Amino acid sequence: MKKQPVQKREKKEYHGVAALIRDPQVIIAAILIIAALVAIFAPVGDREGITNLQFGLDLEGGSWIQLEFQADVVTVQTPVDINAVAKSMSNTLDCTVIPIDLGKVEIDKKFTEAELKSAVEKAGAVFIGSEPGVGEDTADSVKRILESKVNSLGTSDVKVNVLTNLNGVAQYVRVELAGVDMQEAQEIVGKQGLFEIRVQSVGDSTEHVLYGDSVVSVQTPMMDPATGVWGVGFTLDDAGALALQKACIETGATKNPASHPINMYLDSEMVYSAPLSYELALSISKHPVNQLSASTGVGDEGKKQAQELEVHLRAGALPVEVEIAGSGSTSAALGDYFKIICVIAGIAALAAVALTVYLRYRVAAIVLPMVLINVAEVVILLGIAVFIQQLDLAAIAALIAVLGTGIDQLVIITDEVMHEGRVPSKVLYLKRLKRALLIIMTSAATVIIAMFPLIIMDLSTLKGFAIINILGILIGVLITRPAYGRIVMEILSKKN
Amino acid sequence: MKKFKYDINKYNPKKMMAVPASLFAVAAVIVIITFIMTGLPVTPGIDFAGGTAVTIYTDDSKEELEAYFEGYDLKSIDEGISGGYYLKFGPMSNEEMMAFNDYILEGYPDAGIDQIGANFGATLQAQAFLALLLAFLGTAVVVFIAFRKILPALTVVFAGVADITITAACMNIFGIELSLATTAALLMLIGYSVDSNILLTTKVLKRQGNLEEKMEGAFHTGFIMTSTTFCAILAMFIVSLIGNVPTLYTISAVLLIGLICDLIFTWGFNAGMLKLYISKGVRR
Repeated sequence: MKKQPVQKREKKEYHGVAALIRDPQVIIAAILIIAALVAIFAPVGDREGITNLQFGLDLEGGSWIQLEFQADVVTVQTPVDINAVAKSMSNTLDCTVIPIDLGKVEIDKKFTEAELKSAVEKAGAVFIGSEPGVGEDTADSVKRILESKVNSLGTSDVKVNVLTNLNGVAQYVRVELAGVDMQEAQEIVGKQGLFEIRVQSVGDSTEHVLYGDSVVSVQTPMMDPATGVWGVGFTLDDAGALALQKACIETGATKNPASHPINMYLDSEMVYSAPLSYELALSISKHPVNQLSASTGVGDEGKKQAQELEVHLRAGALPVEVEIAGSGSTSAALGDYFKIICVIAGIAALAAVALTVYLRYRVAAIVLPMVLINVAEVVILLGIAVFIQQLDLAAIAALIAVLGTGIDQLVIITDEVMHEGRVPSKVLYLKRLKRALLIIMTSAATVIIAMFPLIIMDLSTLKGFAIINILGILIGVLITRPAYGRIVMEILSKKN
Repeated sequence: MKKFKYDINKYNPKKMMAVPASLFAVAAVIVIITFIMTGLPVTPGIDFAGGTAVTIYTDDSKEELEAYFEGYDLKSIDEGISGGYYLKFGPMSNEEMMAFNDYILEGYPDAGIDQIGANFGATLQAQAFLALLLAFLGTAVVVFIAFRKILPALTVVFAGVADITITAACMNIFGIELSLATTAALLMLIGYSVDSNILLTTKVLKRQGNLEEKMEGAFHTGFIMTSTTFCAILAMFIVSLIGNVPTLYTISAVLLIGLICDLIFTWGFNAGMLKLYISKGVRR
C-alpha cells in the first residue's frame, strides 16, 4: 500500500501539468496520505505487530464486563433543603441517600417506584421521577476503584468507561481488559483487598487495631470549606470503634498522638499514616468514636490523595452494589483469525470495486486513479483512526462500506464531468465538478446525520462503526474527492 | 451487467410505482406481525433479548457439541462453512454465567463468549430505537433543506422508510436477527437510500433539459454507483460467510438486501413519482 503516493505523483508528471502539483487540494491529499502512512507504520513505543493501529477486543483478544449499578437517581421538587430530604429518605429506606444536586438524590439500593415515591413524600417533597443509575461523583469513584484494581495487575491494557446518559446519570460501567480471559477478568473485577488499621506502639513496631470488615461505610472525598483540607470520612462499626479506642489508649496515642500515628494498610502495604488530631485524641480517650475522617492535604494534590485513600479504604469494594449486565471475551487466537478474515475481506472488496468500475469505464486512465484514490481514502482513515478509534469488527465493516460508497461518489464526479462523453472546457468542467460535489455533500450530510445518534449514545461497539463511517465520509468529501476531480481533469484534458 | 436493461423512460409512472409500493405493503404486514409476536419489528438476537452466544472453532461435530453442552439452555447451533460454530443459549444469572464460562473454556479454550443480561438488552433496545428515530428525523431535515419542495422531499424520506421496512421484513424471512450490528447496518441504509434518491431528485429537479435524458443519465450513474457499493459489500459477505464471522456477514447481508430495495425504490417509485410531479407541474 505504501506505493500509491509515488504512483500518483508519476501520473502528475506524465499527464499532468505543473498545475496539479500546485493545486492545494491535491497537495493536502498527498500530505495527508504521507502523514497517515507515517502514523500507521512509524515505529513508536512498544507495540505488537507491524502497525500502530489499535484493535478492539474482538480482534485483539480480551474480555469486557459491563456492570449495572443497583441504585436509583430520584428527581424531586422540594420546598425544603435537599439535604434534609436525603436524610429523611435515608431513614425511611434504611440505606445511603446522597443529594447530587438541588433536585436529585442518589439511592444506593434498588427500590420500586412506589417505595421511592412514598419515601419522597414522607420527606415532604414532590416525586418527579426516578431512573436507574448513580450520580457523577459515585460513578467517578467506581471508575477509580476499578482502575486501581485492574492496574494492580500491571501490564494489561485496560479501559474503564462509565456510560452516562444525557441527564448525567450513569447506569453502567464497562471494563475492557485486552489479553485477559473471562475467568481472570471476573476475578480481577470481583477481587477485594485486605484493609487493616494499625497503630504505632513502641519505636517502629505497630499493633493491630482492625480489619476492613469493621469499616461499614466510606464517603466520597470532601474538602473542609474552612481550612481547604481534603479528607475522606468513614464509619466504623461498634466493635471497630471500641478496638480503636482500646489500642489508642494502650499505646499512648491519646496522650502523645505525634509519636503514635495511625497507619492504614492495603494488602500489607502502607497507604496512609497520620497522628490523631488533638480533638479526636481527646474524645477517643473518653469514649469510642464511630465517625472518623482521614485528612490528606490541600489543593489538587490533597484531592488526589483523598481519592486514592477512598479507594484503599474500600479495599476494592464498590460504593454501590453492581450486577454483571453483560460480558464477552475473545481469545487471542480467535482475534488473530478474525484479523486475517478482515484483511482478506478488505482486499476482496477493493478488487470487486476495481473490477466493477473497470467494467463500466474500461479506461485505465480513469479506473486506476479511481481505485488509488479509494485506497488513499482508506489509508487516511486508518491514519486518523490510529489516534482516535480502535478498530473492532463493526468498525471494519464500516471501513469496507466506506470503500464502497467512496467509489460511488467518484462515479458521480466522473459521470458529471464527462457528460456526453466529451471533456468540456476547463471553466465548464469546474462548474460541473462543483455541481457533483454538491450532490455528494448533501448525501454525505444525510449519512452523517443518520450515524450521529450512535456516537452520542455510546452503544458500545456501534460507536466505532459510526465514527469510522462519518470520518470516511468527511475525508472523502473534504479531501480526496475534490482532489480526484482535479486529477481526472488533467488526465482527461491531456487525452483529448 | 450489459445484459440488464431497464429503460426508465419506457414505463408508465403509475406502473413504475406499483411494484415497489406493493412490496412495501407486504413488508409492512410482515414487520407488523413480527412486532406483535416479539415486541420488535425484527426477531431480536441476544444483544436485545438477552442471552449468551458462544463462537467455537473446532473439528468436533455438531452432535459432540450438543453432548458437551447437555443440561445447558442451548437454543441453537449455527454451523459455518469452515468448521466454526455459533451457539446460542438462553439468559443466565451471574453465578450460572461464571460457572458456564469456566466450563466452556475448559473444553474449548479459544472460544469467544458474549453474554447480555435481559435488563441490559432492554436498555440497548430503547437506545437503538431512539437512534433510529433521531436518524430519520435528522435525515428528513437535511432532505427538506436540500430540496425545499415538500413532495419530492417526502418521497425521498419515504423511500428511506420503505427501504428499512422491506429490509426488516427480509431479515425476518431469512432469519437474520436484530442485533447491535444489524441495527447499525439498518441506520446506514437510511444514508444509502437517501444517497441515490438525492442524485436522482437533484438531477431531475435542479437541472435544465429533457426529462427523459435526465432520467436516463441519473439512472446510468445511479445504477453503477449502487453496484460498486454492492460489489464491495458482496465481497465482504462472501469472505465473512466462508470465514464464519457473524458480525461481518450479518452487517453485509443487511446492507446487500437494503441496496437491492434501494434500487427498486429509487428507480421505480421515486422516478415514477418525479415524473408525475413534473408532468403535473407543467400542466399547471
